[in-house]
Amino acid sequence: MTKHANNIAQPPRRRQSWWALVWRQFRRNRLALAGLGLMLVLFFVALAAPFLAGERPIYVRMEGRAYWFPNLKTYPELRYFDFANWHPAQGEYILRTPVPHAPERSNLRDRLAPPSRMHLLGTDDRGRDVLSRMIWGTRISMSVGFVAVGIALVIGIVLGSVAGFYGGLPDLIIQRIVEVVMCFPTFVLILSLIAFLPPSIYNIMVVIGLVAWTDSARLLRGEFLRLRESDFAIAARASGLTDRRIMFRHLLPNGVSPVLVSATFGVASAILTESALSFLGFGVPPPTPSWGELLSQSQRYVDRAWWLVMFPGLAIFLTVTAFNLVGEGLRDAMDPRLRQ
Amino acid sequence: MKTRTLVGIGLIVGLSSWLLWGCGESGSAPKPAEPLPVASQFGQEPVNPEPVDEGTPVDGDWCIMRLPDEPPHLNPVTSSDAYAREITDLVFDTLIYRSHVNFEFEPRLAESWEISPDHLTYTFHMRKDATFSDGVPVTAQDVKFTYDKIKDPMTDAAHIRNYFIDVVSCEVPDDYTVKFTCDKPYFQHLSVLGEFEIMPRHIYGKGEFNKHPNNRMPIGSGRYVFERWDTGSQMTLARNENYWGEKPHLKKMVYKIITDNNAALQVLERQELDVMVVTPEIWINRASKPDFQAKFNLRSYYTPRFGFIMWNERRPQFADKRVRKAMTLLLDRPLILETIFHGLGREAIGMFFDESENNMALKPLPFDPEQAKQLLDEAGWTDSDNDGIRDKDGVPFRFELLTVTGSSEMDQFATVYQEELKRAGIDMQIRPLEWATFSERLDSRNFDAAPLAWSNPGVIDADPYQIWHSSQAEKGSNFVGFSNPEVDKIIEQARLEFDRAKRIQMYNRFQEIVYDEQPYTLMYNFQALVAVDKRFRNLRVYKRGLVPREWWVPLELQKYHWPGKSSE
Amino acid sequence: MKAYLIRRLMLIVPTFLGISLITFLVVQLAPGSPVYMKLRQAEGGMAAGAESAQIIEQTKKLYGLDKPIHIRYVIWLGKLARLDFGDSYKDQRPVITKIKETLPVTLQIEVIVIFLIYLISIPLGVYSATHQYSLGDRVTTLILFILYSLPSFWVAMLLMLFFGGGRFLSWFPVNGLNSFGAENLAWGPWLLDRLWHLVLPVICLTYGGLAGLSRYARAGMMEVIRQDYIRTARAYGFSEKTVIWKYALRNSLIPIVTLLATLLPALIAGSFIIESIFSIPGMGRLGFEAILSRDYPLIMGILSISAFLTLLGLLLSDILYAVVDPRIKLR
Repeated sequence: MTKHANNIAQPPRRRQSWWALVWRQFRRNRLALAGLGLMLVLFFVALAAPFLAGERPIYVRMEGRAYWFPNLKTYPELRYFDFANWHPAQGEYILRTPVPHAPERSNLRDRLAPPSRMHLLGTDDRGRDVLSRMIWGTRISMSVGFVAVGIALVIGIVLGSVAGFYGGLPDLIIQRIVEVVMCFPTFVLILSLIAFLPPSIYNIMVVIGLVAWTDSARLLRGEFLRLRESDFAIAARASGLTDRRIMFRHLLPNGVSPVLVSATFGVASAILTESALSFLGFGVPPPTPSWGELLSQSQRYVDRAWWLVMFPGLAIFLTVTAFNLVGEGLRDAMDPRLRQ
Repeated sequence: MKTRTLVGIGLIVGLSSWLLWGCGESGSAPKPAEPLPVASQFGQEPVNPEPVDEGTPVDGDWCIMRLPDEPPHLNPVTSSDAYAREITDLVFDTLIYRSHVNFEFEPRLAESWEISPDHLTYTFHMRKDATFSDGVPVTAQDVKFTYDKIKDPMTDAAHIRNYFIDVVSCEVPDDYTVKFTCDKPYFQHLSVLGEFEIMPRHIYGKGEFNKHPNNRMPIGSGRYVFERWDTGSQMTLARNENYWGEKPHLKKMVYKIITDNNAALQVLERQELDVMVVTPEIWINRASKPDFQAKFNLRSYYTPRFGFIMWNERRPQFADKRVRKAMTLLLDRPLILETIFHGLGREAIGMFFDESENNMALKPLPFDPEQAKQLLDEAGWTDSDNDGIRDKDGVPFRFELLTVTGSSEMDQFATVYQEELKRAGIDMQIRPLEWATFSERLDSRNFDAAPLAWSNPGVIDADPYQIWHSSQAEKGSNFVGFSNPEVDKIIEQARLEFDRAKRIQMYNRFQEIVYDEQPYTLMYNFQALVAVDKRFRNLRVYKRGLVPREWWVPLELQKYHWPGKSSE
Repeated sequence: MKAYLIRRLMLIVPTFLGISLITFLVVQLAPGSPVYMKLRQAEGGMAAGAESAQIIEQTKKLYGLDKPIHIRYVIWLGKLARLDFGDSYKDQRPVITKIKETLPVTLQIEVIVIFLIYLISIPLGVYSATHQYSLGDRVTTLILFILYSLPSFWVAMLLMLFFGGGRFLSWFPVNGLNSFGAENLAWGPWLLDRLWHLVLPVICLTYGGLAGLSRYARAGMMEVIRQDYIRTARAYGFSEKTVIWKYALRNSLIPIVTLLATLLPALIAGSFIIESIFSIPGMGRLGFEAILSRDYPLIMGILSISAFLTLLGLLLSDILYAVVDPRIKLR
């Protein structure tokens, strides 16, 4: 009996081939592809950070013992070992990370050093290697971006679908809530909330998520309102499926595309927000590396340490551009009117 | 309240313009009278040459100064803002004044004064020709009015009121005599009673004092008259042409409100600012350049202020003095001074602000991580579970250092310290807070460790009571909870000691004890680094710093002119 | 139409209540009491304990902090109705006065910025739409993208560095609204001086909005161009220029008008940082400093006013939309 009902209520099968269509269209957009490529690079850097920058080597063999991945595991006997100044003797071997500097290792005598062979992107005002901090900062930016948007998506999807599906009073209430939240200048609201909380990356993620859900809610509501009256939805309702099932198994997959676009832009915006917060001093607590924090430092040395001004700023800019390009590309690819 | 105030200020180096007290100068004009310092040796030693023969002072011109922050209001009694102080000092007058030249008390609104032999009664005889800027004479009634306001619990003046706790009454036998009676002797009473700003009763007596409209347009009897306040932008003072005493030479003092340091530097370089206190970075990198020095004279001097990190003794980590000593040994103060602060300071010793009062036998502790680790082991903090963090009785050695946002130097040395501590097995977390929350945490004793600075604009005759007496541990400035019976006794007795030399002797012993206990990790005395437009003369540096109201500008170099008006 | 207006206005009420509730809650949950700000130098005399406690109580009363939270909210709502946000903790001046002083400055700048954004975006959007996929379109899109992705605080720093004096060019001032002594200038030069001071901040606030708006202009234009009546207009023999600028543009502007509402809050948010960097005494800087110093009444006042302004903007654009587009049936 149930199986039968499922069959009847099956949504149109355009899902799979539709995404392929979108991808084909997306591929034609060179800029969007570039953005996607950059996005993947950033992902990789964020994930592989311990293997890209740090003082602990990837593998070391010394005094007869071999250690695997000291950069990931903590070996108690190696805890305070100074790898930076150690050189392998006969029969010993060390495989360092490409950027052999830890992001928190300060060296006051080497403050504000311009880019050199030792420090490819120079050092900051505490002698910390900028490249290493930027690599680890990618982790912060990526995680804040995705987690914050994840939270926003969850809230937005739930509220949007409820509003669109049920209409009536829930819709009215949710619309008012959306309007209320949208009335606040986003960054101002975020700043006010963050200022009152202890600095931690989790607080930042949650606060951004709590403020950024309105776009996806509105979009999804629109989609649900539209889809509610479509054939398959009526059929699903007629066959007695639960509301929740209809909403999330049948309507949602069809209505999710504009939300995805908005989410991509949302990630860009979240990364920008995190940088702005760190720039103003409300971001991640020290010594956590963040691009915004580097930029904030650079204010004091604007005419002396151009590398502190340029590289973090470029990183933020390129990252945001990448996500925006992908979002644009997605939007164009999904738009049937633009299909060639 | 200037002289005796021990003001706690966050360790915001070089950004406090309230250090500007003076004037002094050096020659200038076509050829520099002094050789330009070479860039390499630039900066470390204080730069305050004696003013050479500069000619006769003339009146005229204005001085444009900078305030990094806009004071909320300008009521000298209710204000606790350091920047407001700069302005109220010029607009209001006090009964007497501790000379910035030789620290002797000089008559101001009071021509003479007597102190009873038991030091409980202070009588001031006021001059009869002093008037407020609106022409109304200054009388003893105004003094009593101000005193009453200070003592009034409804006045928003908790911070000042504490100094008057032992002052019992203020009598006015006649219009020009004021008599204060105290119930306990205290060597600072003369300063407390003689140096609060006198406010006009006929103005501030009407209306609500705390929110008085004249808090935005203060009226006093001082050398300058408050002319206008362009909110968010600047404040203008004009010379009081009816001043009873010696008028300053500069016709106007303008204070521009520029929060951002970079922006302020730009404005200075455009010569739309005449004076600026610069950061060590700017001093070393910009002020050392010849083109900068062609436009500005540089002055640097040690200020009566020292910075430190304080350890809350109530916390289990910091209860043992061996641990506190270890914390000091783990901070590489010489290196930080040399690199982050560019050597523009010296390691602080002792608890006082003037060398004459400090116990010079005590030397700063060295940077010695090995000895520190030993002390920590001795005190029972070892890494028993081998997780990299020391622990004792199951409690890991983890703590939170509160810092104030806005100071890059503080941010810098905090992370450096954090690293060093990690290597010694101590986990320090850094928590930046805004000044408001920071002070609240200190006041509620809700902190593990925090950097701070004490300063005394009066320079000499400091009283360690507020900071070190055990009675102040819960409600006063003794944030760390320091409590030592011998120190308590010394402080109490010293308060009654009117012979300065004897007092200093007693304080020497006090400093020995404190040195042994290490409730603070002392850091530095900083230099104030000031750039002044070259046209100003008499840029003399006193112990308190520069005194702008003593400056003057030669006629041919004057830049700003009083629009229209009289011959001046 | 009238019914729509009234309904719309009525709907503002619950929204505004929601706004006031959020602001109130947010600020109440904050740590850092202004009482301690005042007492931070409470050094004691000999008998400090009792006196200081008494003083704290008095100060609390002074600031009205001794009542429970729900009563405080109701009181605040009542005051809100009268636009009485209380007095700023910092200097005891009424919040509304401080906002009144600074809001015009911010609005001045916003108006200029909005004007510039529309001025630049619309032609750009039209050009992009009419020359779709051409090199010009692609280049424009790319440049706009770049602009949209530039962090505003970075741009501000760079502008200050390169154009604001110091090492490089010194074309523009970086501080305040007018030069020192400008109040003595005649009307004309004063205005020029003011505009000169506004160049850099306006650039910082404008460039970001260009991308968004021009893209909407482009999309709207593209949609309109495909319409039948445009083909008809072309068939009538009107020049392409007339077709685009006289007929197509008007119709494509409709959605753009509604964007006015979303621009405003974005600009207010941006002004927080930009005004602080350039020391402009506007509401943005006031708000930022209020947040820094936990000035609750001021924070609530500014948050409420910004939200209210946005609401107004939303209403305005809804009305404009209804007025401009005869096709809209207003239920």
